[in-house]
Amino acid sequence: MADPQIPADSKPPGDPTAPRPSRAQAFRETLSELTRLDGVRGGLIVTPDGLVITSELPPRFPVEALAALAATLGRELELGASRLERGAFRTALFSADDGTVFVGGSPVGYVTVVADRNVNNEGVRTALGRAVDRLRGTWRVSPV
Amino acid sequence: MGLATFLERTWSGIAGLVKPRSASSLFRLADQYRHEGRYEDAAELITEGLRVSPNIAVGHLLDAYLHVVFREMPAAKASFRRVLALDPYHPRALFGLARIALEEGDIEGCRPFLDRAIQYFPDFPEAKALQEMVVTWTAPVVGASAAVGAISTERLRLPPGAHDLVLTHADGTLVFAQGSEERQKHLGLHMTQVYRIASATLARAGLGAMRRGVIEGSGETTFLRSDGGVILGVALAREVEVGAGLVQVGRLWTDLNIKA
Repeated sequence: MADPQIPADSKPPGDPTAPRPSRAQAFRETLSELTRLDGVRGGLIVTPDGLVITSELPPRFPVEALAALAATLGRELELGASRLERGAFRTALFSADDGTVFVGGSPVGYVTVVADRNVNNEGVRTALGRAVDRLRGTWRVSPV
Repeated sequence: MGLATFLERTWSGIAGLVKPRSASSLFRLADQYRHEGRYEDAAELITEGLRVSPNIAVGHLLDAYLHVVFREMPAAKASFRRVLALDPYHPRALFGLARIALEEGDIEGCRPFLDRAIQYFPDFPEAKALQEMVVTWTAPVVGASAAVGAISTERLRLPPGAHDLVLTHADGTLVFAQGSEERQKHLGLHMTQVYRIASATLARAGLGAMRRGVIEGSGETTFLRSDGGVILGVALAREVEVGAGLVQVGRLWTDLNIKA
């Protein structure tokens, strides 16, 4: 999906000349760091309404269908955490015989990573947690 | 030239330079901002566009999308319905209402929206993915329970701090759960929905059926195991590592004498 570069809209404190990366740029960099991990086949970031913000998946992957399911799964994980008073949903992994799907939750949307069966679960989960924290940092309004 | 004439000409010139933007151009820019994650900027443009032209379906659709992003579901539902009032067969509005019905646990209410969306827009992979997912679902029978063998919680090797132990059939029928009746209901429904949606996601990615799951919240971590027939879940401390937690849930699986 085309995701055009947008101009920096503000500057970080302490360095008035350095441009602040846009939110779209942060999305792309966040996903790119995850898809470089060993055993990771690809991933996408999808908003709660199912819009694919950015994706790095092999051509054979059905991106739209996966995005719809990932957004639905992300919302169920958010709602369940809230209803069961388990604190805010952060990350999840679901493994099958041939691989694992990781999901990270943030106010911006859900980071979904598709990985091989023998991937380092703890390593990807830790990296996903960092990615989620980074996405939370791009969110400047209070989420509900 | 008198002062009044000068001021009038100056104002006329300024007004001519600053032309009001059309609703369609506002919505186009709002959609671009939405794709860039600039939701606050997009929301302002949509509000302005709908003020100028309140009867444009795409404006209400974008409004609904942003409400979903901000998790304002009643407002999102109202906006999707406004789209349908203007265009009764709008596939994206139908799909949006289907997704909200799904997260409300209204499976029967979800299906007609998906069916209508695909009927009028057959090339709609997102709607087809959800339709294929829910087609076999039945609404969980709230309050009903069924035994899987004899469950003896006394001989379970529950790890320290473990709670919210739940065992449910994949169709949502609760076998066993800890806690109050209300909590048991929520646990059973949530485990079932997570299992169903995660299974559909794994299958769509070509990875097979869900066997294990780990859900990390800011307060605790839930570990899941399933054989396709039943789903076992237990909440442990958040700092428990993935491998250790899965071993714990595996022991419980054995103790419950579940035949994988």
